[in-house]
Amino acid sequence: MSRRNIFIAVLLGGAIAAGIVIATMSRAPVEPRSAFIIPLPRELPEFSLVDQFGEPVNADTFHGQWDLVFFGFTQCPDICPTTMQILAHAKRELIDAGSNTLPRIVLVSVDPERDTPEILGRYVDYFGEGNLGVGGELGEVRKLTAALGIYFEKAPIDGDNYGVDHSAAVLVINPHGEFSALFSAPHSVANYVHDLAIVMEHN
Amino acid sequence: MVYPCDNCVFSIPFVFRSKTQLMLVLAVFLAACSSEIKPPLVATDIVITEPVPGREMSAAYLSLTNNTNELIDITKITSAEFDAVEIHESLLEGGIARMRQLEKLAVPANSTVELRPGGKHLMLMRPTKTVDSVSLKFFAGTTLLLGINASIQPRND
Repeated sequence: MSRRNIFIAVLLGGAIAAGIVIATMSRAPVEPRSAFIIPLPRELPEFSLVDQFGEPVNADTFHGQWDLVFFGFTQCPDICPTTMQILAHAKRELIDAGSNTLPRIVLVSVDPERDTPEILGRYVDYFGEGNLGVGGELGEVRKLTAALGIYFEKAPIDGDNYGVDHSAAVLVINPHGEFSALFSAPHSVANYVHDLAIVMEHN
Repeated sequence: MVYPCDNCVFSIPFVFRSKTQLMLVLAVFLAACSSEIKPPLVATDIVITEPVPGREMSAAYLSLTNNTNELIDITKITSAEFDAVEIHESLLEGGIARMRQLEKLAVPANSTVELRPGGKHLMLMRPTKTVDSVSLKFFAGTTLLLGINASIQPRND
């Protein structure tokens, strides 16, 4: 083999190696670990609720930023605070990683009779700044949950006390105010950190 | 004959055919002794969460190990810092989170039961004072099985 041929062989080998590296890099990240991306994002229905400041909340409220929406209630000692804690922790990791697109965390109460704006405010503030607590008329909450496939029903405990059985999923609303992805329980910080970039990229 | 512990049923034979045999007998002997002195019920990995502001409840998570050969049924739990302590279980079925109250917490013989977020847990209700730590007492009927104390951990750390 002449010196010239060796030179061409080395050059070709290098080009192939570089091609493989570029192809591998451009392929990742691909598949979400936990999130289900909805093929055709859905607009939110018409509804009229209030936030912790007493300000109106409707479909327009969900325009302009990414939202992670959880349906729960403040007298729930296990699932709800654990989920809020995971969402808050995931958001902090995104901040630490220098992400410039941060989702807002939204708790919609499935127990609006007991969860007043004041109670919701103290609750969501505990899990970080900028969180939104949403309550209001039960019928208006139903308009939202029915359109999004979220189940909730009162479950008597003892006497007048009750809990609320509810869907444990977290919904992703894109900046166009469309329901675009869903995280099913059980939730994990790592899955949110990994998947949110993919969900947002997919938009 | 002097026994290293009162409850031991073994005695050391005087003649051994080999060193290995002696070691084996000693190992069995010590294992038998140590199992006798283990506490019957042990709590580990205790996490007591801070009540979210404005809310009158909290959750406690821990592992309970039964070192005895009998089933232990915990039928009552009390706390000096909370009005009531209930045993609850979160269930995730078909994507729906449910909560049910349990009458007792069964810890099978020589086993560990884990109380973790999203599963079995203790619900601490109506704090009677503001404190940094919580004490819990576990009973079977009126018999006190175990008393523990653990510091409260925030959920927003």
